[in-house]
Amino acid sequence: MPVAIEAVDLTRSFRSGVALDGLTLSVDRGEVLALLGPNGAGKTTTVRLLNGILQPDRGRASVLGIDPAVDGDAVRRRTGVLTEHAGLDERLTARENLELTARMRGIDRVAAARRTTELLERFGMADRADVPVQGASTGQRKRVALARALLHDPEVLFLDEPTSGLDPAATRDVIELIGSLADEHGRTVVLCTHFLGEAGRLADRMAVLHRGVLHAFGRPEDIAAELWDGLDARLDVGGPLGDDAARALREVPGVMALAPLPEGAMVRVADREVLPRLVRVLVELGVPVYGADARPPSLEDVYFAVEARIAATERAEASPAPAVPTSAGEVAS
Amino acid sequence: MTASVPVTPRFDPAPDPTRDRRARWAVIRAIVAKDLIAVRRAKAVVIPMLAVPVLLMVVLPFGVGLAARAQDGGADLSRILDSMPGDMADPILSLPEHEQLVVLVNGYLLAPLFLIVPLMVSAVLAADAFAGEKERKTLESLLHLPIPDRDLFVAKLLTALLPALAVSWVGFAAFCVVANGVAWPVMHRVFVPTPLWLVMIFWVGPAVAMLGLAVMVRVSARTRTAQEANQLGGAVILPLIFLSVGQASGILLVTLPVALAIGAAIWLLALVLVRGGLERFTRDRLAARV
Repeated sequence: MPVAIEAVDLTRSFRSGVALDGLTLSVDRGEVLALLGPNGAGKTTTVRLLNGILQPDRGRASVLGIDPAVDGDAVRRRTGVLTEHAGLDERLTARENLELTARMRGIDRVAAARRTTELLERFGMADRADVPVQGASTGQRKRVALARALLHDPEVLFLDEPTSGLDPAATRDVIELIGSLADEHGRTVVLCTHFLGEAGRLADRMAVLHRGVLHAFGRPEDIAAELWDGLDARLDVGGPLGDDAARALREVPGVMALAPLPEGAMVRVADREVLPRLVRVLVELGVPVYGADARPPSLEDVYFAVEARIAATERAEASPAPAVPTSAGEVAS
Repeated sequence: MTASVPVTPRFDPAPDPTRDRRARWAVIRAIVAKDLIAVRRAKAVVIPMLAVPVLLMVVLPFGVGLAARAQDGGADLSRILDSMPGDMADPILSLPEHEQLVVLVNGYLLAPLFLIVPLMVSAVLAADAFAGEKERKTLESLLHLPIPDRDLFVAKLLTALLPALAVSWVGFAAFCVVANGVAWPVMHRVFVPTPLWLVMIFWVGPAVAMLGLAVMVRVSARTRTAQEANQLGGAVILPLIFLSVGQASGILLVTLPVALAIGAAIWLLALVLVRGGLERFTRDRLAARV
């Protein structure tokens, strides 16, 4: 698949310090990349560099084959950005915000008006189109801002917290919209979010930034394979697992860790072939088994595992004492 | 919100405005239009921006005209005229006594106001140009649009300059009507505008406004709030105001070519500052301060 975005050793500092340090990653066309990390991790700086509003101190980037540091306007004509703050002029109406932005994008007056009306209707804002944004709720502002990012039908979308402030129904709609933009229309999406659930639903790959450094990049299952061995599985025995059963399971070859759950246990096994053996052991002990489901690592699991690894590394660097290695068991339990 | 994707049918891609001068100006006009709509709806900006010119350009000359009409046989201006340079006092002393108050105040002493008003209006709006956008958290969205840095800077200059000129010129028209109208029983003639007044309003005034806003736009790009920009920019603008007050009346006493030359010198200085601002103005600097 052709590459839509590529960054090589992208670095940028401000007076306050290094905001982004040697970022190297690529995003394929039609892919959704979840750019994750705590506040101050460098997500916004990454978007600004990729969209050419900041110049890198070092490294280079390419968006749709164009270097944003050289021809930022050419990049920005083909990208749409939803900033963390909706960034709407509160004194203007939703329609004015959209129409004038369209005209600032070089779209002629008639087309701008047509496109604005179309988007306001599709985002359920037609009834508030001519009211100043000042009185609008966070969710309504977010919808208008999202509509604004789509005014020119961009090939690449940078979305910063697209669902924050939205009610559950609107959140679901936005998630579906983003998914369909990527899956059905081949749009590339870089999604910066703190909501790991939505990132997990949408993202093909994830990138975890921490203090400007990329700590993990790839598909969640690939990153998980680097972080820990084995596969997590949930054993449902209809209630807490007894001590004897737990001991018996731990002795089964291939069982790496076991953590109790109210309805049974979460086990980490070397591979899925271990699961039938576990079921057999439980049945032999007279324990009813209602389910034994392998559970692929979720984006959320992987994110927290990466964060745990970062925290452990930082602790080790801060303290002269030898660090306690993070085990797969820690992650599972 | 409907879940359908608002990208079908495929929307015509926006033209490349960098290739077409008209398209670039259309984009600049759109930025100016957006800012002016926003300014128009901000009562806290509009009311002082209009109240001060109305007071200075309409109410004050009206009061002076009424005072002149109330004087029987002319006001005693000898102490004021004696303290003025001879070049300035002579043309007034040559007038009939009952005309002297009107011509002195409305014809000469109010002249500085017509430089201060455009300077003040443009400075207030220019302070808001980027710092206000930062405050309202709208700057980043603007920077993410495909607008060349140069066009963005020009648009922000025009956003401040155009209302300043409009207020100044409309105010001057109102001043002429009021000053001549109310003083008609005294003067029995139209005494403003003179050719020198026209040079000051349409040539020197815009130059002074441009000078002030060239400074203020640059200050605005470096500060985080409009208030901060006003405070910092004020340090530069205030001396300009004092200079204007000191020199404006003088412009009405020089010959036409000299007045034109003074205006040209101010324009030159303003354009040098604007050019310097343009060269130093980059998205990167702005984005680094968002």
